[in-house]
Amino acid sequence: MLGYAALAVLAGVLVSLSRQLNGSLSMFTSALHSSFWNHVVGFAFLTVIGIAIGGLFAGDPWGAPWWAYLGGPIGFIFIAASSWAILKIGAAQTAMLIIAGQMISGVIVDMALGMAGNTSARIAGVALILAGMLVSRSGAKTKTTIPGTTIVPKK
Amino acid sequence: MRRLEIRGRCYAMSDISPPRLLDFIGAFVTGGLLTLMVWFNGTLAVTGSLLFASWVPHITGSILAIAVLLVFRPKIAKPEAKIPWWAYLGGISGAFTVMLTSATMNSALAISGTIALGLAGQMVFSLVADKWGMMGLPQRDPTARDMIALALILSGSIVLIFFGGA
Repeated sequence: MLGYAALAVLAGVLVSLSRQLNGSLSMFTSALHSSFWNHVVGFAFLTVIGIAIGGLFAGDPWGAPWWAYLGGPIGFIFIAASSWAILKIGAAQTAMLIIAGQMISGVIVDMALGMAGNTSARIAGVALILAGMLVSRSGAKTKTTIPGTTIVPKK
Repeated sequence: MRRLEIRGRCYAMSDISPPRLLDFIGAFVTGGLLTLMVWFNGTLAVTGSLLFASWVPHITGSILAIAVLLVFRPKIAKPEAKIPWWAYLGGISGAFTVMLTSATMNSALAISGTIALGLAGQMVFSLVADKWGMMGLPQRDPTARDMIALALILSGSIVLIFFGGA
């Protein structure tokens, strides 16, 4: 159990590591190039794993509805947007806002699909997330000005 | 990084320059895309294998990527610079994530535990990465305000993950 917990934390670390690596590549090239490399390298890697382990086409791979195969184009936009955001607002803010966006849109999709859920927990969860975003934004307008001080560039 | 100097003491400028509204909303909407990806790719995994459900979006994503690069020809920021080899490994890190979560989802942790622990892993790494300016990205010191916002967003997420279901 503890081993699985460590693996789950590691999975989260790898999500952020991937974003950091793609952000670094986009500094040299562009956000679109970094998303291209993410997909091509990931495709090559998964193909090798598929050949080594097998079972890639297990089950009924072509049995899903057509739109289910369109996750890739959304993923392309997602990686490009993440690479852009991490350079603009930093890794922690990017992770925080992506988590907030994922959680709130997840509740909306669940409700739109008529999935059963605990309404009061949904309200509480969304309210906490919105409060967090509000706290993060609330500093935007207040510029700290202290009389008699100047802003000097670091030597 | 710019610094604010007050009576000989230095204060980090990042403390008083929060993100612009457009960047802020953009990152939030990006998180919404993730919900669509989980939904679409998860639907593939209902009939096909977990590996297939990760393999297919990498192919269709690559096809769109090639089309976009050919049509828009985005400018390369530093054409002369030597790009470190590890900067190309984001895709491998992402593909590994799929395999790890596939394993932990089927353990006692289930999906909720996998996501919750994953959020913790993401945040710890991002905070360290910002603090050190890891891999050449801009260095940022997290502020007290950032930590409060983070605590609220994570606790809201935990409530949704563990109590939001039926």
